[in-house]
Amino acid sequence: MTLVLNRMLRHEVILGVLLVAALIVLAGQSEHFWTADNLLNQGRLMAEVGLIALPMTFVIVTGGIDLSVGSIFGLSAILLGVFWQNMGLPLPVAMVAAILVGGIAGLGNGFIITRFKVPPLIATLATLALYRGLAEGISQARSVRGYPDWFFGLGQGEVLGVPSQLWIMIVCFVIAAFILGLTTFGRTTYAIGSNEVAARFSGLKVDRAKLLIYGASGLIAGLAAVIFVSRVSTTRSDMGTGLELDVITAVVLGGTSIFGGRGTVIGTGLGLILMQALKNGLALSGVKGDGTIVVIGAVLIAAILIGNLLSRDGD
Amino acid sequence: MSNLLEVSGVSKSFGPVKVLKEISFDVRPGEVHALLGENGAGKSTLIKIVAGVINADEGEVRLEGKAVRFASPREAAAHGIATVYQELLLFPDLTVAENIYLGHAPKTRWGALDWNAMRAGARALLDSLDSPDLDVDTTVGKLSVANRQRVEIAKALSHDAKLVIMDEPTAALADADARRLMDVVKRLRDRGVGIIYVSHRLPEIFALADRVTVLRDGTYVGTKPIGEVTEGDLVSMMVGRAIDHLFPKVDTTPGETILEVKNLSYRNTVNDISLTVRAGEIVGIAGLIGAGRTELALTIFGITPATSGEILIDGKPVTISSPDDARRLKIAYVPEDRGSQGLIRPQTVRENVSLAILDRIARAFVVDRRQEGSLARQAIERFGIRTRGPEQRVKQLSGGNQQKVVLAKWIATEPRVLIMDEPTRGIDVGAKAEIHALMSRLAGQGLAVLMISSELPEVLGMSDRVLVMRGGRIVAQFDRKDATPDAVGAAMTAAKAGASLESAPLGFKGAAAL
Repeated sequence: MTLVLNRMLRHEVILGVLLVAALIVLAGQSEHFWTADNLLNQGRLMAEVGLIALPMTFVIVTGGIDLSVGSIFGLSAILLGVFWQNMGLPLPVAMVAAILVGGIAGLGNGFIITRFKVPPLIATLATLALYRGLAEGISQARSVRGYPDWFFGLGQGEVLGVPSQLWIMIVCFVIAAFILGLTTFGRTTYAIGSNEVAARFSGLKVDRAKLLIYGASGLIAGLAAVIFVSRVSTTRSDMGTGLELDVITAVVLGGTSIFGGRGTVIGTGLGLILMQALKNGLALSGVKGDGTIVVIGAVLIAAILIGNLLSRDGD
Repeated sequence: MSNLLEVSGVSKSFGPVKVLKEISFDVRPGEVHALLGENGAGKSTLIKIVAGVINADEGEVRLEGKAVRFASPREAAAHGIATVYQELLLFPDLTVAENIYLGHAPKTRWGALDWNAMRAGARALLDSLDSPDLDVDTTVGKLSVANRQRVEIAKALSHDAKLVIMDEPTAALADADARRLMDVVKRLRDRGVGIIYVSHRLPEIFALADRVTVLRDGTYVGTKPIGEVTEGDLVSMMVGRAIDHLFPKVDTTPGETILEVKNLSYRNTVNDISLTVRAGEIVGIAGLIGAGRTELALTIFGITPATSGEILIDGKPVTISSPDDARRLKIAYVPEDRGSQGLIRPQTVRENVSLAILDRIARAFVVDRRQEGSLARQAIERFGIRTRGPEQRVKQLSGGNQQKVVLAKWIATEPRVLIMDEPTRGIDVGAKAEIHALMSRLAGQGLAVLMISSELPEVLGMSDRVLVMRGGRIVAQFDRKDATPDAVGAAMTAAKAGASLESAPLGFKGAAAL
């Protein structure tokens, strides 16, 4: 059993070590880094990417990819404003509706991928443009402001001293880790990523699983969008542009194989924290934005190389 | 007459399996020498040795009297041995002329490619093959399979080949194209080239070959001038042996009909198939590659749902539109390609064995690891899987043990109908016997077994009844006592039914092999 755990968690251990090292170095660079205020604030900032990274882990474990999450994020954000302000829906209803639209957009991806056998990269590249175009068309470059105060509790408030969206992320994290790690659905996900044909030949419901996963990806992107609107108090159609790259980076940094079949939610969590810590810590130490991106790129390559070396030993 | 090629006492082993045992034969200049044998008889290995792809462990290959040992196919080509493989090895984006001269293109004094000489040479070669209609400047990707084959032969001739090896050259061709190819082969022979011709199609061999050599299970059976043998003789040379002896078939009394198929069709690969399989019965399906056997299995199993016809379980019509439906109806399918269809190779024995019954060993969607582990341990014991334990990854197991894992996965679903497609392909002799014993035992426990096999001895040895498929149809049916190698072999190749060359369409097998 320890052998199994070792094999499963080897990448996570490396990542954990890397993370601790990064935290120590960054704490030494700036006295502001290792403070409760800063850390909680960073938790608030990474919640949106973190939420979307959870279903993205499932997507990538199946050997797929979802490039459209940033656009779905923008679409849901815009529709929240439109539903509430232009259509006059009560805000809670508008929030649910905006999230549901995200889910429908995600199901659309899944439908194109499973029904027409379009490679996920192509399908979601197309819907990346499509959903963003819809968002821009609907918004007509107008932004929506003036949300009631209670709405900001979601993105700016705290519960027991911890940012509210961090609670949401933690709950989703536990659910995702449980599903991928312990349930039949998780097994199906890994089987699809390792050998889709054999999964199908074993009577697993491959298409249904993919449909659900891409649907969840859209749904969570919608949820993240609502949280984001609440955090920044406004709605614009270009929200979430390039978000997919941050999300995919966190997942891959967390040890999920882009070829499918391997990866864990815990890894994604560590990848996410490492990425956010580097961004914040380097900024506090006075490194400019471009420098931060270079460091994150280098860390990503290093983590993957180490992972590959070790997994070759494992066989 | 002096011999062009002499092979004497050649043996070859892969690991512990001896695939060629002291083979000797020879090829004369201007002769078409057919090489005949079942799948796995060792033809391909023998060809590869002559072509320099692999080396023999023992024995000698002599070319024009001189002993040779080629380090690479390139070296063999330099000695005048050219091979036209079954799967054509051309580059689709290059032109005909470029493909023909790839690797040995004529050069100018300055070291640049001499395009004019190349094109003129290609033109001359194709004309000599009676193909003046082929443009040397078109890219190969735009050509039909038949034309590509001509390019491949021209490529062989561009090396001034003295010996041309052709591995099932007509397998992918339609009638008219096959006939034209045979004309080309005759032209080569008339120019004094020696040809080793591998084919399953007996009529073709009778039309072309001067002599025929038969291999069986890696041993040499005999060489005969074509005029001295009949098709029946060749079939019994290919398969004739004490078959019953090798297969542990237990006599059973078949029970009720479990699976019944009525007028089942899928597009044009499965045509109007009707069959029944009873409890405790093993029904074997014989046929050549491309006969539609795997396609039939895939249709019954719901991978390619039927386009017309009916499937009945216990006499009740059922709809099977996915493997999941089939599994619910207690139909299991052990696919022909273990690696790509049967197993999740990077995962463990435990994870593979439980794959088809995940929902049954789960409580509220959570996989019960303990139950899964004991399931895996039981499977290892029951099927005699040689592994370090449930946590070993299946890709590390041998072929035979991998096959047992696939079988264990499906037996765990407690099926009533078991379809096995090439159950022992690529498995060593010992594991083969174990799989056969398992199959027999399962039938004894009341399973209805439908077995597809390209090995005639396996079909004849294991089956209570034998169905023969050809062109997507069932063309013959035999009871165990009437299923002689001659009769089944004849039905497979249609030797008796008007010796016409029929086309074997590139079916699922061809596609899967890519």
